[in-house]
Amino acid sequence: MFESPVIAIVEDDEALREALSDLLQVLGLPCRTFDRAEAFLVALEHSPFGCLISDVRLPGISGLDLLQRLKQRGSTLPVIIVTSYADSSIRSRALEGGAYAYLTKPFADEALLRHLNSALRSNGRLGDANEQEDGPDG
Amino acid sequence: MAEMAARRVPADQSDASWNVGSETELADLASESVMVFDLAGNIRYWNPASERLYGWPAIGSVGRSITEMSSNAELCVKQWHTLLQEGTWAGLVKRRASCGGQVTAVVRQTVRCDAEGRPRDIVEYGQRAGKERYPSSFPEINLHRQAAASWELDTSHVRPLLEAIGDLMSRGLGADLAQRPDWIDELLTGTRIVNVNERAAHLVGAHAGRAGMIGESVGAFWPRVGRAVLAELIAAVATDRSATSMRKVAPDGILRDAVVTVWRSEALERSDTVFVAVNGVIDDDRSFWYLRASEERYRKMIHQLPTALLQVDLSRMGQTFGELKTEGVSDLDAYLDDHPELLDFANGVVRVIDANQKAVALFNGTAPADFIRPVGFLFAASPETARRVIVARFEGRRSYSEVMKVRTFDGQILDVRVSVTYPGPQRLDVALIGLEDITERLRTERRLRQLETDFTHAARISILGELATSIAHEVNQPLSAIVTNGETSLRWLSRDDPNLVKVGELTTRVVSSARRASDIVKRIRGMAAKQEPERLPLNLNDVVDEALLFVRHDIEARSISLSVKLAADLPAVLGDRIQLQQVIVNLLVNSIQAIDQGNGSLQRIDLSTGVEDGDKVVFSVHDSGLGIAVGDLDRIFDCFFTTKDDGVGIGLAVCQSIIIAHGGSISVSNCPDGGAEFRFWLPTQFARISEPTGGTYA
Repeated sequence: MFESPVIAIVEDDEALREALSDLLQVLGLPCRTFDRAEAFLVALEHSPFGCLISDVRLPGISGLDLLQRLKQRGSTLPVIIVTSYADSSIRSRALEGGAYAYLTKPFADEALLRHLNSALRSNGRLGDANEQEDGPDG
Repeated sequence: MAEMAARRVPADQSDASWNVGSETELADLASESVMVFDLAGNIRYWNPASERLYGWPAIGSVGRSITEMSSNAELCVKQWHTLLQEGTWAGLVKRRASCGGQVTAVVRQTVRCDAEGRPRDIVEYGQRAGKERYPSSFPEINLHRQAAASWELDTSHVRPLLEAIGDLMSRGLGADLAQRPDWIDELLTGTRIVNVNERAAHLVGAHAGRAGMIGESVGAFWPRVGRAVLAELIAAVATDRSATSMRKVAPDGILRDAVVTVWRSEALERSDTVFVAVNGVIDDDRSFWYLRASEERYRKMIHQLPTALLQVDLSRMGQTFGELKTEGVSDLDAYLDDHPELLDFANGVVRVIDANQKAVALFNGTAPADFIRPVGFLFAASPETARRVIVARFEGRRSYSEVMKVRTFDGQILDVRVSVTYPGPQRLDVALIGLEDITERLRTERRLRQLETDFTHAARISILGELATSIAHEVNQPLSAIVTNGETSLRWLSRDDPNLVKVGELTTRVVSSARRASDIVKRIRGMAAKQEPERLPLNLNDVVDEALLFVRHDIEARSISLSVKLAADLPAVLGDRIQLQQVIVNLLVNSIQAIDQGNGSLQRIDLSTGVEDGDKVVFSVHDSGLGIAVGDLDRIFDCFFTTKDDGVGIGLAVCQSIIIAHGGSISVSNCPDGGAEFRFWLPTQFARISEPTGGTYA
């Protein structure tokens, strides 16, 4: 078994940060949480990540700006954008900006898991969530 | 000594290489005729004694050739030749006089040379042949007073009129200008002053001075009594180049035996130039004519100013003020508190003595005569202003200004800025009151303020949407944490080794997030707790008009055709203008969105108001969208029901709350010809309605 890829979570709401990291823990996926995009960018300098889950509304650099920066520097890191704004313009900006997936809060864990698995595979690192029923279905 | 400047070289003929220096100041005072010519015989300087000797003023003579003035040009040329050869010439010359005859003079001419010995100019001294003496009644000291008031005029603008008059004359039809005041006016208005000498400026240009007269029309300065004479003389010389016309002017008290002489420039290229000289002895610089001429000009100027002006006579008030000050009154404001009758007195004894055209127009009057009465009427609508105007005068201020209301002659109330200019210490009798109508400006300001308020409303209306989005976000955060924590707990519980400690931890978090969500809801409710809605009589049509302001742009941008049928004489309803506006804006925005989604070819919104059952005011808006799904008709006003992707579903719920709180009701139906129609009705102001139990619509 190779070392599982680390998933980065950028979320300023502490309750949600902890909830997400516990969810990934029960799925057997290692993760690191950040309360700001800037902190994640510093960590990215010397740590590889398998996937990034980012909120949109953040203090400082927003989730969409972060996505744009990563794409500008040619990063292939898949980015899943989550937001509590059911706003079609944010959704289209996220997807046009190259987000791997876009989820509105509150989302089902199944949905997140599906996107995570496919994102990790696309990133060439087969993340294997410790799951009885696995993989995305149509 | 501007007069000398005029006696030298007019600007348009100046020649930098030739300069009559300050030396001419001496010659100005000489009793002998003194002239300076350039080498070609053109007159460069012509002193007052020359004006008296030949009758020609310096203006009109400077620049002319002495040969032209000579009765025998050929002889003159010969003499000139001799002069230039020998350096001096003396003898008799015959020259044309302005009165048409000729003057024989004894002259001595000398060529002056420059430092290198080159001929520079010629000076001539001369006097009338026959050694006539001046009458003893002409002391030397008065010589300068006999100089002509002379004018150089440009008639090019009135040439068509002059030609028409000339044509009538030549056909013997006689154009008696005295019978045609309109021609006189046109002629004198169109004739422009090119130059005047100091004397003319002194006589009639009092306020303007020479500089102010040049370029203006001669009619603005020429005294009334001589207007017909001047016009006739100009017309007479206009048709005959060689003619010189002169006429005595009826005595005015300013000049004794005044004679006006008019002649036309002999230079072909200046055929529209006419010279005028007025000869006569001034009786007194401050003579009646001078004063009347300047006052007349002053009146004329005031009458044509674009500001409404009134002249008021303060003389009676000045006496009263003098008496009060003698009695030791120094604080008039305090004195008026004890003697309010003084204000009435002032309003009665201070009289308007003149008003200009603009004032007549401002007050919707017919003539300045309407104003000739005590000034009280002016302050009738703002009595306190009269008091402050009087106090300012008493305190010796030179001006006072404030905004007040005036009642016009036809009963309108206008907002005006009143500016009073008090006379200086040397003239205590007449003040000027300027009135600037600022009604429109204030109205515009009020409209802007109203618009600002409206924008605030618009902002409030759009905030409703913002607020809903914020609420969604705030509540979604803890909900999202609850969902994720719950699902994570379930995953732990479904494993072969359930981590109960972890599940307990997660469950604690679920509870705290749920509390947080509940707190947020409470906070929002507190934030949106409304003030009591207003209940004022409103015309719903006005509310509709205002609501349309907010959405008109959207409607036009989408090329939706909007039909608005507002019932006339709609009875008033009692309500809160802003809330009802919100309802109508919301319904209109819904209609626009329905048309957007419908993408049908027909894009139309029909809006109407009317009365039903005599005691209900009805509003209806019908759009050409797809209508409402039958299943949704019953739920459309429910809170958080929405058919839009990003809708929050509180708009129609809020509308319903507002209408119900107003004692009315709102309904929706699909129309047979397509689209949806929203209708609400409200009780009229006097309809008996059971008090609504109130509704909260946060």
